[in-house]
Amino acid sequence: MFGKLMMCGAALLLMVAEARAETIEEKVQACTGCHGEDGKPVDKTIPTIWGQQAGYLYIQLRDFKRGDRKSEIMQPIATQFERDDMLAIAEYFSKKPWPDLGQPRAPKDVAEKAVSASRSVGCPACHLDRFQGDGTVPRLAGMGRDYLAKTIADFRTRARGNNPGMSDLMLATSPDDLAALVDYLAGL
Amino acid sequence: MYVKGLAAFAAAVGVGLLSGAAIAQEVKQEKQSVLGNANVPPVTQEQLNAADKNAKDFLLTNGNYAQTRFYPGKQISRDNVKNLHVAWIFQTDVRESLETSPIVVDGVMYVTTSFSHVYALDAKTGQQLWHYAHKMGPITVYCCGPNNRGVQVLGDRVYLATLDSKLMALNAKTGEVVWTTNIADPELGYSETMAPTVVKDKVLIGTNGGEYGIRGFVRAYDAKTGKQLWNFDTIPENSVGVWATKDATGRDMHRNIQAEKDMLAKIGDPYAKLGGGVWQNPSVDLATNRIYFVVGNPSPDLDGSNRPGDNLYTNSLVSLDLDTGKYVCHFQYIAHDVWDLDAVSPTVLVNVKDKDGKTIPGVIHAGKTGHIYVHDRKDCSLIRFSEAMVPQENMWVLPTKEGARMLPGANGGVEWSPIATDPGQELAYAINLHQPMTYHVESSAYPNGKLWLGGAFKVIPSEKQSGNITAVNYNTGKIKWQVKTPEPMIGGILATAGGLVFTGEGNGKFAAYNSSNGKELWSFRAGAGVNAPPSSYMIGGKQYVVVGAGGNTQIDYKRGNNIIAFTLD
Repeated sequence: MFGKLMMCGAALLLMVAEARAETIEEKVQACTGCHGEDGKPVDKTIPTIWGQQAGYLYIQLRDFKRGDRKSEIMQPIATQFERDDMLAIAEYFSKKPWPDLGQPRAPKDVAEKAVSASRSVGCPACHLDRFQGDGTVPRLAGMGRDYLAKTIADFRTRARGNNPGMSDLMLATSPDDLAALVDYLAGL
Repeated sequence: MYVKGLAAFAAAVGVGLLSGAAIAQEVKQEKQSVLGNANVPPVTQEQLNAADKNAKDFLLTNGNYAQTRFYPGKQISRDNVKNLHVAWIFQTDVRESLETSPIVVDGVMYVTTSFSHVYALDAKTGQQLWHYAHKMGPITVYCCGPNNRGVQVLGDRVYLATLDSKLMALNAKTGEVVWTTNIADPELGYSETMAPTVVKDKVLIGTNGGEYGIRGFVRAYDAKTGKQLWNFDTIPENSVGVWATKDATGRDMHRNIQAEKDMLAKIGDPYAKLGGGVWQNPSVDLATNRIYFVVGNPSPDLDGSNRPGDNLYTNSLVSLDLDTGKYVCHFQYIAHDVWDLDAVSPTVLVNVKDKDGKTIPGVIHAGKTGHIYVHDRKDCSLIRFSEAMVPQENMWVLPTKEGARMLPGANGGVEWSPIATDPGQELAYAINLHQPMTYHVESSAYPNGKLWLGGAFKVIPSEKQSGNITAVNYNTGKIKWQVKTPEPMIGGILATAGGLVFTGEGNGKFAAYNSSNGKELWSFRAGAGVNAPPSSYMIGGKQYVVVGAGGNTQIDYKRGNNIIAFTLD
């Protein structure tokens, strides 16, 4: 897995260095190396961006550029973009269909535990009904299981540092409940 | 004001989350506006001034400028309300949280939905006259659902504030956009869910964002042009205050004043990112030309360590001069709040008895603490507070890393839900939540417009939740009657001259109660959460009651998309 990740990152950096993209299609070409030609990420720890909320995608690109969200791969890519580029890229991917990763639905007991935990700290208040997200809040329904697990873990350690409110909520939720949430969200 | 979820307590409501029904909010961007032709005369300022005596229309979000939510018509009465039945149902295109207050102008009804849509309907038949589908910008930042609570009409324009923080005037007849003004930058956490209040050619609007480190405000814009006329920062540059150690009811808030003073010396006044959103309409005193509103919580909600001082004017009643926006007076309920038990329900202007029993102009407000506060309108001073309408325990224990249990939970008491009053009975009617929670604190730096809670409010899943409808005598502070409901209540309530109050529940029940004793006289099952304030009006000699049934994001009640009007045969 690590090797594949490194390859997708290396390919991207090469692409970024060699080509100064002009059109939106050229600009997003770099993204497919990791996020997938068909919207299915090449690695399970990479997020789905096809069909994701445009506002959320924009804010992440902005934060990678600012250094508020750390990623050795994403930061150099985002750094070359101005705000309008980021908004255009975000809009482009938001219009793509959300890919079905074929993840199984969570068993009933796991789903019930997840729903109870999510209501306890108010997840649907921002991620909305059925975790579809809106605006700058991401869709979580059907997101890759491993990416969800990694992101939640990173929020808890604040390694994912660009949303301390999320860190607070994840820290207030037990690891057991969070594990149920990961399975539940991945299977929606 | 932030949103806390609800523990899984009622299967009837809860299963909605698990089912695989269509994902309705996707319609929000796909739907195009449909222009129309509503045959509606212009609304004059004189009509608005006299809205409290007008049983034909329902011109303002809360009935009238005093925001009494007391409807003067009495055709629907305690005797005949049992015969109330559906007149029509209108289904909006947006199946998400529905908090709209329908207004009615000469037979035309204006309702709004989540994501800032507006519909004009024939109030007699429910037929759609036009639909404004707001083209939302990509950046929206909001904590408590994509709600919209309504619009107001003045002249031939409908005024709307949108989730992406724009103020708009629409043509009341056609739904066409007349002007648009940017209120504030949504990327920094500003959003709009409240209905504007329009008076004397001014459009008054506050802002959401208390969970995102904004600096709150109330503003007046020119109704004709959209140009800003004045701005009042709800957080003054000197936000420190008097280092109050007790709340409005005299309870110790366990502040570490020395630590706060040390921090103040180190970082200075924290006013610039201190929050102070304004969630609901101001009331307008036409006689004195003053407005009264309440200001919400400081940012971050639970962590007070980096915001020394009283954090003025958060958690306060504030009065301004209508023409200039200049400060008149304020009263702070909870200084340096770290529980988000803030002030969000609309203020109401009624005559009240002062401490000597003399009748004076008063202003009342229902808090998330579960008290109704009664003030002197002249100087904002507190005359009395009511008995607690919900259980209070362990107040004011400070939030901890592990979580400290305290009642009420952070949704209240009374949330944004407007109260109603019946001046003849000297009663205020409020709907309440009871949600046991633990309060958790974490510390982090200002996150550039991101969610900034400073911890978490956590519903305790094993503890039973409930709600209630409570009638309080505002001249004594005593509870006259209380009806318990199986679930926490959020939405609003209407009182009528027919001796009734109408309100709804998250489980879809919409009911009428005897306003003197709380006896239930009629009910209806709407099929989705009734979490919006009802309105009433008359057409062709018949009284109607109308309410939205679309559920609620904040408490996660079952979503729907219905506007339902009821009448008698």
